[in-house]
Amino acid sequence: MLAEVGTIVVGLALAVALYAACAAFWGIRRADSCWALSARNGVHTTTGLLGLALLALLVAFLGDQFQIQYVAQHSSIALPLYLKVSSVWAGQEGSLLLWSFLQALFTSLVVARPSDRTRSLVPWATVFLCLVTAFFTAVTLFLSSPFFQLGMMPPDGQGLNPLLRHPGMIFHPPALYLGYVGLSVPFAFALAALVTRQVRGWPGAVRRWTLAAWLFLGLGLLLGARWAYDVLGWGGYWGWDPVENAGLLPWFTVTALLHSAVMQERRGGFRVWNLLLAVFSFTLVLFGTFTTRSGLIQSVHAFARSNLGPYFLTAIVLTLAGSLALVYSRRSILVNSRPVEGLFSRDGMFFLALILFLTLTVSVLIGSVLPTITEALTGQRYEAGPDWFDRVTGPQFAALVLVIGVCPLLGSTASAMRRLRSRGLPGLLGAALLTAGAALAGFTQWVSLVGFAIIGLAGATTLAEYVRDVAARSRGPAGENPLRALWSLFGRNRRKYGGYLVHTGVILMALGIVGTRMYAFETELVLSSGKPVPVADYTLVFEELGGEPADDHLSTWASLAVYRNGDYLTRLEPRMDQYVGFDQTVALPALHSSLREDLYLVLAGWSENGAIATFKVFVNPLASFLWFGGLVFLVGGAVAVWPSAREERVPAPQARRRMLGTNVGLVVGLLVVVAAGVAMWGWGAGFGIEARSAGRPLTGQPAPDFTLDLLDGSTLALADLRGQVVVINFWATWCPPCEDEMPDLQVSWSEYQAEGVVFVGIAFDDEEAAVQKMISRFGLTYPMALDVGGDISAAYGITGVPETFVVDAQGNVAHVHIGPVSVQELRDELESLLEE
Amino acid sequence: MTGRTKFVFAGLLIAAAVTYLIVSSTGSTAHYFLTIEELRAMGDDAYGRNITISGAVLGDTIAYDSSGPRVTFTVVQVPGDPEEVERGGGLAAVLHAAVNDLGAPRLEVVYNDVKPDLLQHEAQAIIRGQLGEDGRFYADEVLLKCPTRYEEDVPGQSGGA
Repeated sequence: MLAEVGTIVVGLALAVALYAACAAFWGIRRADSCWALSARNGVHTTTGLLGLALLALLVAFLGDQFQIQYVAQHSSIALPLYLKVSSVWAGQEGSLLLWSFLQALFTSLVVARPSDRTRSLVPWATVFLCLVTAFFTAVTLFLSSPFFQLGMMPPDGQGLNPLLRHPGMIFHPPALYLGYVGLSVPFAFALAALVTRQVRGWPGAVRRWTLAAWLFLGLGLLLGARWAYDVLGWGGYWGWDPVENAGLLPWFTVTALLHSAVMQERRGGFRVWNLLLAVFSFTLVLFGTFTTRSGLIQSVHAFARSNLGPYFLTAIVLTLAGSLALVYSRRSILVNSRPVEGLFSRDGMFFLALILFLTLTVSVLIGSVLPTITEALTGQRYEAGPDWFDRVTGPQFAALVLVIGVCPLLGSTASAMRRLRSRGLPGLLGAALLTAGAALAGFTQWVSLVGFAIIGLAGATTLAEYVRDVAARSRGPAGENPLRALWSLFGRNRRKYGGYLVHTGVILMALGIVGTRMYAFETELVLSSGKPVPVADYTLVFEELGGEPADDHLSTWASLAVYRNGDYLTRLEPRMDQYVGFDQTVALPALHSSLREDLYLVLAGWSENGAIATFKVFVNPLASFLWFGGLVFLVGGAVAVWPSAREERVPAPQARRRMLGTNVGLVVGLLVVVAAGVAMWGWGAGFGIEARSAGRPLTGQPAPDFTLDLLDGSTLALADLRGQVVVINFWATWCPPCEDEMPDLQVSWSEYQAEGVVFVGIAFDDEEAAVQKMISRFGLTYPMALDVGGDISAAYGITGVPETFVVDAQGNVAHVHIGPVSVQELRDELESLLEE
Repeated sequence: MTGRTKFVFAGLLIAAAVTYLIVSSTGSTAHYFLTIEELRAMGDDAYGRNITISGAVLGDTIAYDSSGPRVTFTVVQVPGDPEEVERGGGLAAVLHAAVNDLGAPRLEVVYNDVKPDLLQHEAQAIIRGQLGEDGRFYADEVLLKCPTRYEEDVPGQSGGA
């Protein structure tokens, strides 16, 4: 029933979208506002219908309607509610429906409230936007329908791919699609501007749309990177995979578009650039969808090879050829006769940034299709790996950061070399300080030092810009205090200061990228339980393996104590989930983040008895800067997107309505940033970390001193036992494994008592009567005490019972046993200690 | 030089630098993309170069030593050309045919890493690494794709909307 409704509704949506395109066109031809109004209603109807279809699919997922193939393939009864929701866009069919809906929604928003600047362009933009909506709706209906039925009702669905069971997956795909869909708006307005020959004002008129698309695309990319870091367990966040590149390419061109739009607004120049960048951004979205779904490019992330390739290819060719022909036919009105400023001016830097974004786009495009290109040129297929991309794009990114750093130093005219001299000092200081600091901190590869110098320069000049403007306001007639001055700066010129904030985010991210790409450290370790192993600045002690079965998977975790430079740092619990039905395992890494670096642990395998486990260990320097920079970047983008009060002067009732819209926008924007923050920090940084005051002393470290009132009435102080080997056993009467080791401890005690070895049993969280009962049951004769208050257990950092510490004659910990100990183990250890 | 020519000149300079970066990186860090047949045809030339191989995994040959950790397995020749794969009836069919073809060229792969989750019979492996003097392929990176999972063939598919 739902499936039929869904199919019919999507079919209707297609028909209405096509009608709306025709009606809008007819309205332009006849200059008839009735047709235009009808087109507008058509657009809203399309949005409503596609929303209904999406709702039907959602209801099908929530109601476990497994007779629908798409639901059967991506859901199961046991799936938690939030994952059922995110399953709607977990596969190709559903994501195309979501895409169509968002496309229609954006079209609705564009036509609903045209501003004075967009009004004359909206009719043609409606035509193009409706055609785009119709294309995606047609693909959804005819080629990739989520409402296809199986003709039978399977008892349960196949479940969601375990890798996609991550809260980040709720936000990541919709954010990307919002970005993709948003790019169709500047594209449609660019074409409308060309058709109507009004090529002057359009970039400014759709600036907020472009910004929003850019912001969502950036959010989607960041969330994707964070998801890879959190879930895929390979220690990285960006692998230059074609699917990742598909999102990055339009992001490059739309970033360029934002900058060239500023140039057109200010100087009237860069008209061809703006038009082409809008066209390329949209074409690259189609291209990304085409490559990842056509099987043209090998990728592990790609959707199944599907039959969509030829249709998307046709759409790309039509879009490109049509747009370029249109640009060519209007070439006479695109020439800009204004003289340009010199290269060493803000104009020049904007130009260089544009060139760099273009070369970056071309580089990544070439890398993505390198095998095809090199085969045509040399007959030999070369393939570009991450090394290739890092090498090719690294210098270009560095040049971009340099441009960010130099731009504030230059005036808007070429003659401003003087300004450079007067403002250059903070930049040079910043470069020198960061480079020296990095070198002292051990980042000594010269390429990275060049990177740090550039980052230092850019950071300092951007900061100096804030400081100067804040100082000017606080010294000025208003005499505001600095904080208030900063606040009003953001209030007055959101574009400028939001932009600076975005640049600050980029600079911070650059720091993280240099650290993680050039200094990452990776190794595999095989750890035996209780034996400390040093790795980098850390010492890892694998303690124990645990497991718990869940609905459809078995979860196994390893618990490790982590020490840095000998001091207890934290405990980490990397996990591995084995999904039997999927024949797949998902390794969930555990990580400890600090300002300097991330320690990232992955559980890779273990022995049958759980005494030995294999781990992958990654140390990612400066990784926190990447994520923090990402947040700053998003906040800056949100500030820039914000409509500022004085931008448009409107009458009071309308202003009140806008105010409401602004507030709703504010809440949505805040929610997006908070969601991004939670997705990026909450689950990642907090995962597997358990706050604890102290850890076990490592072997070789002094055993914490204690004084005990023994059950026989005497006292025992560890400090008095220097010169003697001491075995300290933590146990409890309520612990079955402790009962197993009691006889062994008693045997060892009677064996080594004569040689001066002291045994002491410390009962943890216990009562004297129970302990006495146990002593008489096992005939224990070694000293025994209760750890009243648990202070000793805490000092020794025990995480369970039994645990046994062997302390040498110098009072240092020689051996640690987590879990029961045997006569043989103690014999080996005591013999070697007594020989010394 | 007028302002405009300066701009053009700067743009060309950047383009030239990026072209150089691309060409030089292709020479030094890009991998040859080869099928097993093509690797065999290269003979001694192949030793020590960065190579990417694609092949079908033989499930029986997967051996994992978690203490290394090291995993060894054998891959069988599959065509590299997407069109040829298409003619063979799609990736799943080509992979299935490959592992059952006793005459097809094979290659033993050594991967000093943890066994990847998707390493299983009839998976398509894309392996980056170098050919060793002992004739085995030493992998730096293994990417895997299981057509059965990603193409999502539903058994007993019938009917329609």
